Amino acid sequence: MISITNNPLNLQEIMFELEDNSAGALSIFIGNVRNQGRSGNVSEIYYEAYSEMAEEKMREIEIEAQTNWGIKKLVAFHRIGNIKVGETSIIIGVSSEHRDEAFEACKYVINNVKTRVPIWKKEISKESQKWADGVLLE
Amino acid sequence: MRSDIPSNDKIKVKLFAILRELVGEREITITVPTGITVNHLNDEILKKYPQLKSFSNKFVTSVNCKVTAGNTIITSKDEIALLPPVSGG
Repeated sequence: MISITNNPLNLQEIMFELEDNSAGALSIFIGNVRNQGRSGNVSEIYYEAYSEMAEEKMREIEIEAQTNWGIKKLVAFHRIGNIKVGETSIIIGVSSEHRDEAFEACKYVINNVKTRVPIWKKEISKESQKWADGVLLE
Repeated sequence: MRSDIPSNDKIKVKLFAILRELVGEREITITVPTGITVNHLNDEILKKYPQLKSFSNKFVTSVNCKVTAGNTIITSKDEIALLPPVSGG
């Protein structure tokens, strides 16, 4: 299940979506906004997405994870809008039969979301606002 | 319609992040000759919005949600977007 949402992310909902009696392993990555960025202190981050394309690219990454590691389920939720320090911007959850596939697939998905999905972040502090340097899509 | 008059397309282009802020619009419309390529469209956009010139090698163009080569021909039916470097997660 893939979602780009303006709403706060709910770990319970993600755990529910991942339930699968044939899966012995769940791996979950939670990305939070931290108080330091490349430009210094950060009080919040503004995330913006090209949602239609972002969800399409995330589904593409999901298929790759299923093909490479035979995972049971993937849940990838990315929050957009203004997100304060300590709040969660992204949760990736993977279920699989065994732990190695779950760990590997979860890492693959978060790494690829960061470099292949059209989402942008602007670091905001009391003093400044700056779009983060990023990766040009291929 | 007279065949010796070139026809035009109105191409809508979505803008994101720093490009959206520089232009002040989420979507712009560019009138171009029918049968234009992505590269030609980008040239027209930079002419109309010179504030984007310093970013000309810092964005890619997507057509119908796929990053697309510069020689691709586009029409007004395509969904076009300019995408600066991504930084999600």
